Amino acid sequence: MTAPDGIALSGVCKTFTGRGRVVEALRDVTLSCPQGSFTAIIGPSGCGKSTAMRIAMGLEAPDAGTVRIAGRAPLDAARAGLTGIAFQDAALLPWRSVRRNVEVPLEVLRRPLAASADHVGHLIDLVGLTGFENALPGELSGGMRQRVAIARALVTHPQVLFMDEPFGALDQILRRQMNLELQRIWAESGSTALLVTHGIDEAVFLADSVVIMHAGPGRIVERIDIPFERPRQPHLFSDPLFHETCDRIAEALHGG
Amino acid sequence: MAAEPIAPLRGLRNLAILLAIWEVVGRLDLVAGGALPGITEILLRLWEDRGDYPRHVWATLAASGAGFVIGNFVAVAAGVLFALSPVALRLFRGVNIAVFALPPIAIAPILVLTLSGMAPRIVLAALGVYFVTMTATVIGLSQADSRATDLIRAYGGNRRDELRLVLFRGAMPSILAGLRVAAPNAVLGAILAEFGGGGRWGLGAYLLGSLGRGEPDRLWGIGLVATLIAGLSYGAFALLSRRVAGATRAVTLNSAIPDVSVQAGGPALRVALAGGTIALPFVLWWAFIRLTGVPDLIAKTPWGVVDYLFLAHTAETAQARLFAALAETLPITVLGMFAGLGFAFALAVSSRLAPRAIEAFMPVALITQTMPLVALTPLLVLILGRGPSLTLWVTISVTFFPAFVTLAQGLALVPRSAEDLPRAYGAGRWREIGMVTIPASLPYLFAATRLTVPRALLGVMIAEWLATGRGLGNLLNQSRGYLDYGMIWTVAAVSVLLSVVFYQAVVIVERRVLRRMGMATAE
Repeated sequence: MTAPDGIALSGVCKTFTGRGRVVEALRDVTLSCPQGSFTAIIGPSGCGKSTAMRIAMGLEAPDAGTVRIAGRAPLDAARAGLTGIAFQDAALLPWRSVRRNVEVPLEVLRRPLAASADHVGHLIDLVGLTGFENALPGELSGGMRQRVAIARALVTHPQVLFMDEPFGALDQILRRQMNLELQRIWAESGSTALLVTHGIDEAVFLADSVVIMHAGPGRIVERIDIPFERPRQPHLFSDPLFHETCDRIAEALHGG
Repeated sequence: MAAEPIAPLRGLRNLAILLAIWEVVGRLDLVAGGALPGITEILLRLWEDRGDYPRHVWATLAASGAGFVIGNFVAVAAGVLFALSPVALRLFRGVNIAVFALPPIAIAPILVLTLSGMAPRIVLAALGVYFVTMTATVIGLSQADSRATDLIRAYGGNRRDELRLVLFRGAMPSILAGLRVAAPNAVLGAILAEFGGGGRWGLGAYLLGSLGRGEPDRLWGIGLVATLIAGLSYGAFALLSRRVAGATRAVTLNSAIPDVSVQAGGPALRVALAGGTIALPFVLWWAFIRLTGVPDLIAKTPWGVVDYLFLAHTAETAQARLFAALAETLPITVLGMFAGLGFAFALAVSSRLAPRAIEAFMPVALITQTMPLVALTPLLVLILGRGPSLTLWVTISVTFFPAFVTLAQGLALVPRSAEDLPRAYGAGRWREIGMVTIPASLPYLFAATRLTVPRALLGVMIAEWLATGRGLGNLLNQSRGYLDYGMIWTVAAVSVLLSVVFYQAVVIVERRVLRRMGMATAE
């Protein structure tokens, strides 16, 4: 018997009704991410990629279709502490210090904080925020806040990692650095990762498989496997094959 | 030019200037032939009366303190319940609005008829704080940052975890702002009950006893002491909320579309809920009378009021008196409400334009506004006489305070980045206010309007009761004198009904406007 897929969406449909209009956010979305794989979803704004992720996280219920996270219902997986989450917007609690924000998932899952103190400190160090443990989010830059969110996503040792444009607010230099870091952390953790992003190069660099979505209605139009060997090195960014792959994805995005 | 003194010093300086002007004007008897004594005359009189004060102050403090604690405890508990359960919120909507809309002055005689000892004072003080704190709790809890609650839910957290980790802490500024408004309300409630209920001790009783003696200096003294108590309670919570609000402000604008409340259940359930909402206040009214065991002659049930107003042989004269009173009360209520609200809105918005000017104005505004209304009214009578302008001023002042606090708080919560954006494009202060401040504060403007509506009626009735001898307030006072129990209950019921109708009208407009703008109602 093989391990269940880390993330499995099957025939997922979702419509929203807002201000008198019906929006078909997702039509028959099927996506499976094998255990330990890294999948990136890319698509224009409003193509439903964030909705797909919210459904996978259990924040929205699909109108039709099934969702399995590590073989379980999404919220069951969350309650078992199998998931890690980094939002597009850092979504930090403004009254909590950096350290206390990183600890939020532990508190939700009712895990003892003392046991994880070293791990939390290590994560803060990993995202380069040593010395800022006691700063409040209001005192940090946008990039620093986002790095807190990454540290927070990793604090539970997740098996499945959801990232909704986690580096959207970072500058290109920092973003590449974080991409490298993320690859290392992900490889170490052996988790299944799902990344929603706008950045083609980021998707190609990180993912085993890039899923391309189109809007109106939101649907998956193509899935492209990325063959590069791991661990991927920074010089991959200047590899001709890398650019070729990026161009293929760009073509698929623009109606291919 | 000398350097501008720092903020607290400037406040003190302005206060000193104001006191000096007061002293000169008072000493020279410039206002209404000595109705405004000089500040030193008032203080001298306070010193002369020093033996009287402790017991009066203690009685008022005890009643308002007990009412404050009990009322707020119930209010926060109820607020949490309502935030967690939309069904409960809907079911209790009628009760909440009725409690909120009860003009305390109309309820005071009823409570004195049905309860004994300190109970009427405590109940009235508790009623005065309940709605403000309950609403603030629900607003605070329901306006939490949805991104933060998403995070908790995504980790499998339940509603309780959301409450524990996000909602309560996020609601603190709102709850504290509620307590800030509630504190002077408790004092006002206690004094009103003392006023309407007899009894020997309490500032209200003292004021009532001194009212007929034509001694402005003593009336002012009592007014100042009452104001000091209310102002100090306000100040304590203002200080507390300032320490808390700083870290709670959202750093980025949450643009998530608010949940449109899903109509769960079939139409049958909805009809049942609507029926329950309307019936519950009357059921509680009936239950209250049965539980206190007061005889039917004195305590009228809902049916008793219907009987008095429509079926009894005196029904026609009762109706005529009621309608005559309403015709006097209603127009001035509407006028005063709009004036109070407009003033509050203008001041709150301009506090963004000229923060320093507002800072200087604040101490004065707070002093006049935390002044318990019953204590203020006799003083306004001394100055303005007993005409309609008195009613209008009393009404404006009673609506202004809560509206201003609600609005100022709403404006303070506008995210920094939203304000920075227009400024970055070179927008002036006015553009910025027009584009960001006013739209972002709309939910609070409506919340303030809802808060203001019944207070306007309260202000009018107090002025009518104490001074002008017209309208509903006077009808209530007269009926008390004639032991016309039917009319006492009728006026109370009608004034509550009126407030509820006004309130509902505001709610309907609010829903439409906010839905069109994609904003959430500050419930």
